[in-house]
Amino acid sequence: MTTSCEAIQESLAEHLGETGRLSEEERRHLELCPQCCEVAAGENALGLILARVLPPADPTMEDKVRAAMHSARRRRRVLALLPVAASLLVALLGAVLLGGLPGGSLLALLPVWSSQGWVSLAASAGDWNTVLTTVAGAATALLSPGVLVTAIVVSLLGFGAVAFAARRWRQVSPWHDIG
Amino acid sequence: MTHSTLYHDGAVSFEKASDEQLVRFALDGDEDAFTVLVRRYQRRLTAFLSQLVGDVELARELSQEAFIRAWSALDRFNPKYRFSTWLFRIGHNLGIDHLRRRRLKTVALYRTDRDGDEVELVVEDHTKDPLGHFENTKLASSLKEAIDELRPEYRELVMLRHFGCLSYQEIAEFKEMPLGTVKNKLFRAHTVLRKALVTFL
Repeated sequence: MTTSCEAIQESLAEHLGETGRLSEEERRHLELCPQCCEVAAGENALGLILARVLPPADPTMEDKVRAAMHSARRRRRVLALLPVAASLLVALLGAVLLGGLPGGSLLALLPVWSSQGWVSLAASAGDWNTVLTTVAGAATALLSPGVLVTAIVVSLLGFGAVAFAARRWRQVSPWHDIG
Repeated sequence: MTHSTLYHDGAVSFEKASDEQLVRFALDGDEDAFTVLVRRYQRRLTAFLSQLVGDVELARELSQEAFIRAWSALDRFNPKYRFSTWLFRIGHNLGIDHLRRRRLKTVALYRTDRDGDEVELVVEDHTKDPLGHFENTKLASSLKEAIDELRPEYRELVMLRHFGCLSYQEIAEFKEMPLGTVKNKLFRAHTVLRKALVTFL
């Protein structure tokens, strides 16, 4: 057996003896090589046997997979909400450190937390300078610099995490909201 | 790419879509697209797994589990790879895990023969036989025997090629093996199979 015989027989094994799938050169070789011709016939017969190895289809599998897809989607939806919930918790912690919730010591000074909050907020909505000055003044008056910095960092991290988690949720939600 | 490229007689025809297109549609929320992938691969995956675990009913269960896992992890599927090789890898891992667990649980059954020697009891259940659907039972048992006697590295390639119906390229990707090696090993495996099955050829 020559090297080209082995190469051709590898091709015959790949195509299960279908000579039509060989190159022109390989077919010419086949006409002159009884050994390769024998392999071609053997591969063809082997191919006929191997073509029968697939079991019949399971008619119930599609429905079973479909049903499982729904529950998998529900599970994933809940899991995807966990980071949103966790980051909200961090944001809440930051707000508490700032004294806003539930004690209301710092945020109570803001118009939105006061007794006439909504009216005051509407009045000051156009004047963010006043709002920021009030917050900064109240914060420095009530909190030590260390606590203030920590509270601001935790709040920013929390809201950043909320934004990130919400974005991630938006990415997976088209897939999970179907059906 | 949109569904419009697959419209045929006013309805979306997923059957002609490539695996990559179907995966994209499934990720966009189209369950029918994934169901086509289930239809396309269920027999092949079951055949492959039935050779791996030796039980067609169990292979069906594992195939079903593989599809569910593929669906659950679809957003993590790397389109750089083929869906087929990814799915078969999930199925293969499930099969291997099952075999490991079974090995831990299995207790061999022995009886004592007339000479006082211990003989392992083999309980045969033909309904679970991966080649049980063959009409020619003699051919089925010879083929099973021939495949069992192949070297493990050849056997796995034969399973992927002829039971999983993966192309040589897909097998090379699955096994992380050069294409030439796959070609050569399968040729050698076929030579052994041809010799073993010569009476049926």
